[in-house]
Amino acid sequence: MTKTLLELKNVTIKFGGVTALNEVNFQVNEGEICALIGPNGAGKTTVFNVVTGVYPVTSGDIVFNGQNLKGLKRHQVTRAGLARTFQNVRLFGDMTALENVITATDVHKKTGLIRALFGTPLNRREERESETRAHELLALMGIDHRSDQLAKNLPYGDQRRLEIARALGTEPKLLLLDEPAAGFNPAEKVELAGLIRKIRDKGYTVLLIEHDMSLIMGISDRVAVLDFGQKIADDLPSVVQNDPRVIEAYLGVPADES
Amino acid sequence: MNTLMSFNLRDKGAEIWAGWNRLSRVVFVLFVIFMVGLLPFASTFGPTSFLNTPIASYIDVLVFPVGMFVLMALGLNIVVGKSGLLDLGYVAFFAIGAYSQAIFSTMFGWNTWTVLPIGIGLAMVSGVILGLPALRLRGDYLAIITLGFGEIVRIIALNIEVTGGPNGIPGIPNPPSFLGIKFDLENPRNFFYIVVVMILLTIWMIRRFTIRRPGRAWEAIRQDEDVAALMGVNTLVYKLWSFVIGAAVGGAAGVIYASKVMVISPDMFKFELSILILACVVFGGIGNIWGVIVGGAVLAYIPERIRFLTEARQLVFGLVLIIMMNLRPDGLLPRKKREKITEKGSK
Repeated sequence: MTKTLLELKNVTIKFGGVTALNEVNFQVNEGEICALIGPNGAGKTTVFNVVTGVYPVTSGDIVFNGQNLKGLKRHQVTRAGLARTFQNVRLFGDMTALENVITATDVHKKTGLIRALFGTPLNRREERESETRAHELLALMGIDHRSDQLAKNLPYGDQRRLEIARALGTEPKLLLLDEPAAGFNPAEKVELAGLIRKIRDKGYTVLLIEHDMSLIMGISDRVAVLDFGQKIADDLPSVVQNDPRVIEAYLGVPADES
Repeated sequence: MNTLMSFNLRDKGAEIWAGWNRLSRVVFVLFVIFMVGLLPFASTFGPTSFLNTPIASYIDVLVFPVGMFVLMALGLNIVVGKSGLLDLGYVAFFAIGAYSQAIFSTMFGWNTWTVLPIGIGLAMVSGVILGLPALRLRGDYLAIITLGFGEIVRIIALNIEVTGGPNGIPGIPNPPSFLGIKFDLENPRNFFYIVVVMILLTIWMIRRFTIRRPGRAWEAIRQDEDVAALMGVNTLVYKLWSFVIGAAVGGAAGVIYASKVMVISPDMFKFELSILILACVVFGGIGNIWGVIVGGAVLAYIPERIRFLTEARQLVFGLVLIIMMNLRPDGLLPRKKREKITEKGSK
């Protein structure tokens, strides 16, 4: 039996009069690649924002790994084991690629300011471990040769990969990818699909938002569809693909039927 | 002019530094410290006697403003340069340090070395008191709150009994001699050496922080606070720390200042001083300690050196600022473009 890692229970979010998410029930199982799709403005990124603590929920609960995330601060959510990337790349541009990842690996470190000031053995060991781990992650994403370059000077594709490496630096149980293939050409998309599979095989669970159907159908174990803040489908990719409500949400209703 | 603007002396220096082995680095650092130690003698020594300041005593100028400005600029740089929080009320911490020394020494007879940790502690506590509510805000709003805090501290000092109101506190004792080194009116040079030691300690501290976790956290907060939080940086705690450490340096400067000048009054801690220190940081190069040191030294020294111009002095000083900021908008020695905040880069 698969274990549920993340569960949204009746999550509703309202911004003033606008209901961004309406009674969404949704779950991600451990070890799967789950895709979240839907037309523009359906509330996909809002799901990410509410899960990572950027927006507070209006009502409902978010349970992650047995822990209720409601009311946790953003850094506490990250420490609990959730990490994300961003739709528009948001790296620390003036830091090198390596530093970007090391900053993320600091989440689980014990040494704070005082120990850093005096350079205690524990601090030195942790700093070394961080660096090794960061190199490993950069190598996993295939950009270790860029480790000493400033993030803002990296080519676009490498910036996207670096974002994933940085998110992995926090040692998440669940990795949230917000349109990782945006702006990629078909060859890069294929490569990315392989990379996401590789990440899953390393033991991470992946939830991704994506618009590219071929990518989603190729790699995801399950697809959830959002439309106007409501979940309209949640099933195997092949089933979702032929769901009339999903087709309707994307293409609209034929004129003669409405 | 284009090359003048883009030329990054900081990177050049870092390149040369990286090429050296440990021995030549140690020799270089000791040499620089030695040269700084010789500064008080520069006004009487033939070839460098042009450094002598007219009207004001050269050795006093070296302590205040030059040494104090450098020290405070380094402290403010932790707040403004490292974690990107605009603090317009930095002088408040300087005032708190100075008044701690004045009150404790005149009322209880405690000496400077006893008051120093107390003054630093009080400055840090007030940093927390200001920081906890203020650091929830960002950018302009934070700047306004800190500005208000700076004024509040000065106005309190102006109005309550224990600080002596507008007359301030006279008769603050000099520090007692320490290992046979005397600190009084006849030995002003020794005050300069205390300030140099404090500057060295501050540099050591900042360098330690910068290459390790706190430096990365501050850098991440400065560049994108929301992402920093999402990558697990406890933003409030780290912002508070940078504020408190900056306050500690300001407080330490205040304690030494009060025991040097012996009389303090609220008009020494005006808003202008906060702005001048901020100008030192920006002029030297935000975020780069060497730039900030040069900026502090230059901006403190120039007005004293050109004192013979009388009325035109402020005008010339303003012109120098405008011209320099146009030529080098990132400061004299800008932040390193390829900064390495890892252990490897520092050794």
